[in-house]
Amino acid sequence: MRLPRRTVVLALLATVATGAPGGEARAQAIQNATLSRANQAYDNLDYRQALSFSRAALRERLSGAERARAYEVLGFSYAALDSILKAVDAFKQVVLIDPERQLDPNRVSPKAYSAFDVALRQVLLVRQLRVDSTSFVGGKGALPVRFMVTQPARVVTRAIGGGGGGAQANFLVDSGAWNGQVNLSWPARLPNGDPVPAGTYTLVVDARLGQNSFTASQPVRITHGSVDTLPHLTSLPGYQYLPETEIPAPSWRPLGLAFLYTGGALIGTVGLESGSLGASSKRELGVVGGAALLTGFIMTLRKPAPRPAEGNILYNRLLKEQIARRNADIAKENVTRRQQVQLSIVPLSKSGAPR
Amino acid sequence: MSRRGGSSVGCAAVVLGALAGAGRPAGAQHVTIGPQAALVDYREVSSGLRYSGSGFGGIATARYRKLSAAASVVRLSLDPTKGSTASVGYKATEFDLWLSYDVASYASLEVGVIRRTADPEFEAQSLGAVRVGARSTYDLGPGATIAFRANYLAAPKFSGGGSASFSLDLGLGLDLLVAGRLHGVVDYTFERVNRKTNPGGTGEIPAPIQQSLARVGLAIGF
Repeated sequence: MRLPRRTVVLALLATVATGAPGGEARAQAIQNATLSRANQAYDNLDYRQALSFSRAALRERLSGAERARAYEVLGFSYAALDSILKAVDAFKQVVLIDPERQLDPNRVSPKAYSAFDVALRQVLLVRQLRVDSTSFVGGKGALPVRFMVTQPARVVTRAIGGGGGGAQANFLVDSGAWNGQVNLSWPARLPNGDPVPAGTYTLVVDARLGQNSFTASQPVRITHGSVDTLPHLTSLPGYQYLPETEIPAPSWRPLGLAFLYTGGALIGTVGLESGSLGASSKRELGVVGGAALLTGFIMTLRKPAPRPAEGNILYNRLLKEQIARRNADIAKENVTRRQQVQLSIVPLSKSGAPR
Repeated sequence: MSRRGGSSVGCAAVVLGALAGAGRPAGAQHVTIGPQAALVDYREVSSGLRYSGSGFGGIATARYRKLSAAASVVRLSLDPTKGSTASVGYKATEFDLWLSYDVASYASLEVGVIRRTADPEFEAQSLGAVRVGARSTYDLGPGATIAFRANYLAAPKFSGGGSASFSLDLGLGLDLLVAGRLHGVVDYTFERVNRKTNPGGTGEIPAPIQQSLARVGLAIGF
């Protein structure tokens, strides 16, 4: 048989570059001799033989993976022989057996890839159900759930399981008509707002379209933890307490005041002296005035006493009030946090099966 | 006269005790008490009748918030000065009481009494009057306070009779915290009384009185 040159090249590319239909790793996993021959024939670009051996292998007892592989060889061979409808039918069987099967468009022939893509659109599947590990405070976050539905369908997503109480809890995550990529979030809360009990849950995505249905599931483990509380503040970053006293600059004020007061007493004495009684003795004023002047002089030389710095006192008071207000808020927040639960959700090994 | 003086001292003791006890828990309360030495110069009627001398006594002060009180008693021995027409000296006891209310951090209004008695009684005029005036106080530095006061001596009474329409008392005071609770207290008082008498109804004749008094002492604070 003589094949078109372009077909041969494409098939070769598909075989060598992607290894999608062939490859040593795949060959080693194949136990069935007929399927091995089919694989070998495909690798040798003998697509008629590959078709023949594949059909023969499908009539034998095969494991699921071998069956999928047999249909895949069929699909690629039909695509290489330009039998697109048959290739689509073969790829439908592949994705029904292995819904997560993906082809790399950069490594397989466009014919095979488009046949595979058409096959995907003709079969109702829930693919690529993914749940990321996450952690959030109960009631303040949600678990992101994403998957792909290959046909427009009514999709019901549930979380089934529980915390070992015996009865299986069943939480509706979402119900709606979806097609293509779907992104959902599950707050993991009970109807009363409390977080769901810790335990193992299974996220079940059930897609229905007429008589067809498909279910995919992803188990997750939910654990409870305490929410971290906030430490109380002793200072505000960038703000520091200021000294509440300040030492004024030295001045002659004490001596000046002593002069002023002593001078006032002297002037008052002289002014009040009676002309008829004569000038009074200044001995008494000399003793007291001298003591005042000496004290004023000494106080002038002494280091001034610290005096309250009103601005700094006011600033410190405001700072204390601000810290106290913040700490009150923190205490209130901590009371709330102690009543909260930190949910940690980890996906477990995945499984999915057509129904 | 001496009985009156005793009642005045008792009244002062009551006032000081009340101030000292009223605010016992309050931090603003302050009481001092201590001895004093005094120097005095006294003139009366004319420049020829003049005395000088010294003495001793005591002072007590109390403060409660804006109220303060001070009382001083000194016993003076006065002798005629050189050139005086007086032949003998005498002893005098002077009691002063001030009650002050602070109207500002540096100013206060004050009332009080002055009572001075002479012994022998007729060697000099005994005087009793009510004080009304004001006081200005400033801090010179840590523990040092200077004060100036001016009091009008109202309703003066004299042992020899007579009246005085103008009587003034000026004062300069210094309170210095020496160490711990020990205060040095220095006070100067100049007193001028324009006394006039009318002996036998022949008409008023001036008989002024002028006294300079310095008190130096120590006081313990409580």
